[in-house]
Amino acid sequence: MPIKPDFLFGKPFDEFPDVTEWDVIVLGAGPNGLIAAAYLAKAGAKVCLVERRYEIGGGLATDEVLFPGYYSNNHAIYHMMVDYMPVMQDFDIGKYGFQWIKPNPQTAAVFNDGQALVLSHMVEDTKDSITKFSFKDAVTYGRLMRSWKKIVAEILGPATYLPPMLPIEITMAMQKTKTGQEMLELVEESALDIINNNFENDRVKATLLYNCCIWGLDPRETGVGMFVALYSDRMTNKCYCMGGSHKFAAALAREILSNGGIIIDACEATKITMEGGRVSGIETTEGRILKAKTIMSTLDPHTTFLDLLGKENMPGDLTEAIEGWKYDKWSYFTVHVATKEAPRYNCDDPWANDAFMNLVGVEGTDQLLAHWDNVIAGKIDPNNFAGHATCESLLDPHLVHSPYGGHVSFFQMHAPYDIEGGWDKMGPELEAAILEKWQKAAPNMTRDNIIRTTHETPVGIERRFPNMRKGGIKHGDYKPIQLGCFRPNQECSSSATPIPGLYTCGASNYPGGAVLGGPGYIGANKVAEDMGLTKWWKPTRRMEQYVETYLDSPLGGLG
Amino acid sequence: MAKEEQFDFVIVGGGPNGVALASYLGKCGASVCVLEERTEAGGSVDNVEPFPGVRLTPHAMYMYSGPAPGFEQLELWKYGFRMDWSPMSENIMSQKDAGVKVSDGIASISEKDMMGWAKISGVSTEKPYIKELLRSIFWTPPHPAEVEITPDNIPYMQVYKQHDPSIWTEELLDMTMFDLMDEYLETEPFKVMQAAVAWYSGAAGHWEGVAIPALGCDITLTLYSGLSVPRGGMHDYFHAIIRSAIANGVIIRTCCPVDEIIVENGVAKGVRLRDTATTDENTIWAKKAVISAVDVRQTFVDLIGPSHVGASLLRKVKDISLKGGSIWVSHLITKEPLRPREKFKTASMSEPGEVGGPFPCDHRDIYYEHVADVDGRKGIPSVPPERLMWLATQSKRFSDAESQCTVPGWYLESPYYVLVPPPEYEQDDPITLKNEDFRGVRPNTVDAQKEEINAYMRKAFSLVLENLDDDLIMHLANTPYESEFRNTGLIGGTWCGTRHCDDQWGENRPVPELARYRTPIDGLYLCNQTSCHPGGLALMAVPYNLMHILIEDGLVEPGDWWYASPWYIPESGKIPANKNGR
Repeated sequence: MPIKPDFLFGKPFDEFPDVTEWDVIVLGAGPNGLIAAAYLAKAGAKVCLVERRYEIGGGLATDEVLFPGYYSNNHAIYHMMVDYMPVMQDFDIGKYGFQWIKPNPQTAAVFNDGQALVLSHMVEDTKDSITKFSFKDAVTYGRLMRSWKKIVAEILGPATYLPPMLPIEITMAMQKTKTGQEMLELVEESALDIINNNFENDRVKATLLYNCCIWGLDPRETGVGMFVALYSDRMTNKCYCMGGSHKFAAALAREILSNGGIIIDACEATKITMEGGRVSGIETTEGRILKAKTIMSTLDPHTTFLDLLGKENMPGDLTEAIEGWKYDKWSYFTVHVATKEAPRYNCDDPWANDAFMNLVGVEGTDQLLAHWDNVIAGKIDPNNFAGHATCESLLDPHLVHSPYGGHVSFFQMHAPYDIEGGWDKMGPELEAAILEKWQKAAPNMTRDNIIRTTHETPVGIERRFPNMRKGGIKHGDYKPIQLGCFRPNQECSSSATPIPGLYTCGASNYPGGAVLGGPGYIGANKVAEDMGLTKWWKPTRRMEQYVETYLDSPLGGLG
Repeated sequence: MAKEEQFDFVIVGGGPNGVALASYLGKCGASVCVLEERTEAGGSVDNVEPFPGVRLTPHAMYMYSGPAPGFEQLELWKYGFRMDWSPMSENIMSQKDAGVKVSDGIASISEKDMMGWAKISGVSTEKPYIKELLRSIFWTPPHPAEVEITPDNIPYMQVYKQHDPSIWTEELLDMTMFDLMDEYLETEPFKVMQAAVAWYSGAAGHWEGVAIPALGCDITLTLYSGLSVPRGGMHDYFHAIIRSAIANGVIIRTCCPVDEIIVENGVAKGVRLRDTATTDENTIWAKKAVISAVDVRQTFVDLIGPSHVGASLLRKVKDISLKGGSIWVSHLITKEPLRPREKFKTASMSEPGEVGGPFPCDHRDIYYEHVADVDGRKGIPSVPPERLMWLATQSKRFSDAESQCTVPGWYLESPYYVLVPPPEYEQDDPITLKNEDFRGVRPNTVDAQKEEINAYMRKAFSLVLENLDDDLIMHLANTPYESEFRNTGLIGGTWCGTRHCDDQWGENRPVPELARYRTPIDGLYLCNQTSCHPGGLALMAVPYNLMHILIEDGLVEPGDWWYASPWYIPESGKIPANKNGR
């Protein structure tokens, strides 16, 4: 039990009780936990969302990493699925002063000779830029994007919010349309094959490859080719949340609270308890007990099952599956900077300076692959690396609160969790290498322009967010046996688990991480069904069309 | 297209006062919109994690608000509010064992000190009355202007008279906190320590006529709230407040800076948002009232402007004193835990992480010298480091489960406070004044001096800490300039905005015309620490007190959960806020 003061004058005020009872406990107030809790609270369940950190949001974090006075999105900043997320239609979050923007110039690669390639939201604008490198590639890009956008709009986008299917079921369903067949053709190939087979100019290839592998897709991995369509489309539809990503979390939290849900932070679960073969609640570090017959965990599989539930409460094959879970192949290293002036890239396309994201150090496919191979082998060559940068304060006037004014930007690159030389040594070295490389592309990024810097290593990511084990932002690698109905394993991928009352719905569940909001939504649907709650929400129009076109029967009661 | 909206109440400013008031109003059934300019509400009740695993508290650190009716009335316990009680709170009188830090070591605290302190704090009587005493100081609205203030109707005087008449004398009202302590306590260092705590908490040991309010600032922290921190830090205390507000139906919008309070024919009608606001609606109308929960000067000078405020009031508002509390806040990251030097070790303070409280407390002369440095002159601090009166918090204050620093090999002591002269404003320099980014501050001067001043402060801290220099990894600081830019309400980095001296206390705060939260503009009320009794410290007191006035004006009618302050005197011709025994 927590310390109780024994004052001379009696109890000073009431605190949250030592023992409480709930219909549903949701573990982890990241995007999925917030979404799940918001749907269920509005459906009338008595929901308690429990967060370890002092602040909600998980990866939806906007922190003062350049303390004091400069706020940065130290984790999620690019939101790719805003156009498809059911939460956008189901909740009126605009009333909380919440706005997305989607800049047209989305990603601009700035090459070492000053050429720039700008991927825009509008396809013809992108084609204009590719034309400079290869007219043929521009035409190909236009043709492929037409097909890929359809695949995303009809299949991948809506399927993100529906329970996963077996590969054989997918194959059969996709036969029904031309778009479906085109997707199946893609699946078999690796990202590298798809890009190599379609494009000729090496700079175009490298840029597109970076664009679809940025969030952890292995370029040589086969069987996951649909991600090329998904990321090529979605990475040119990135949205930014004004005021920082944390505002998205705050808006979702307000929906939970205004519907009677409760959020408790600075509260770490130490144990999921069982009673009569079913989950019965959690215990916390401070000795409080929260009881519930339904527990939804958005934490990584290791934490949920091995640390909190314990092997003694799990069937043997589940233990084996969880122990075999593989964390992400690579993580990220990020340098945050406060500068007097925003970076000005010295290049042949002024749109590069308005772009949401700039690629620096991407020069060609061989060079890029060499960098990625290094990362997977646990090292980074200070003379050959690539990364992406964004000046957040150019988009968002709300991030700078310092007497010195100026701007906040960051440069992020793929990086191994275990690095040769260790992060204590490599962190400062890589920061210096990044600043040097950045200054070559944007000459005003001089020492004189820089007010303050800091960096965050993969170890730091794990320390800030312990469920991002090994710095894995997606709570686990994207490879065929950890995707779809195998994420995290066949028994748990639709949210229910073999343990009665326990559900999983974090980034390690289908469809995965990167603020898709899929696991939380699918989990809320499943729990609502199992608890017999009336669903006050309807699937999106695109989801309905997908179910109608591809599925023989409505899935999971969503139809 | 610019759209318009309407609420019963529009509150400008999402700090603890604005949001707690919003929760009260929402609980009364009113529609309420809070507009906050920063990305996160909470004002100076704030946590940050600049490095993974390092959690800092840039401003408000400790709970002062223990006796607040808001805990019950807003039911904060429901919204997850918990404390990380300091082990010391298990026996609050064990503070005696820690002694007082003076230049050459630890001065002991006498029996008479503790007995006297307990007596004036209302904990030595058979039935302790500290809660009533503190509520009478902070949680009661000033009396109406028509009521003559006498020793018999000042709330805390009523409490002493009722519970311990031996303390009640008319002279109490003319005393400084030092005078009071000279009468009841014994040793000089203990008195200096209490005065320093009060000074760092917005009142001071040497101000005339506010002995009891200054004592209140001290003991609401050290006795009532057990020198403890809410679990998750002060921002999680704010979380409980904001979550109660949202559950009460309040709409809270961040990134929504207000440009103007719209006044028509002397009546506040609503607000206009700045064009950077993240909302489609740029005009928000208030059916019942606009509440300004931002600094009083910003309210009248920036948001309303001279066309709606008389020259005499505007001048008075501009003249409100900024002195008395610009704080330089240090956060020390070290390779080893910071250890007290041998001469500072005591039975209860020998471990690393246990160095707390003010130093050096030898004699009030040191206190006065530092006061003169801070309030009597401008520029950078000039007292020698060995006579700089600083105040440390203890990392041991946090339980292991709530450690502020989880980086292996890193140790954090934070925050260490030093009162410094308020920043200099280059008011006459048209260039810096016009520059939006710099708002009249010469940043390069501060920038150049920051490291130098940090080093000077470390010299002062090192008089007690034996290994600060050897083990320092990083000295982070938020200077008064920086604090002001993080939180625009902390003008000049002054935490309490305006000091709690007799000229700006109770019926005089911030000026007599505005003391009861009303303004000459109908439909505009004040709810900020700089503008209202009893000021800062995130007490939930300004909103509670203001509720009495809003009830008087017929704007809200709370349910049975409401109770008024027992010392409240209704204004004639208004609806009493304590009718039906509330």
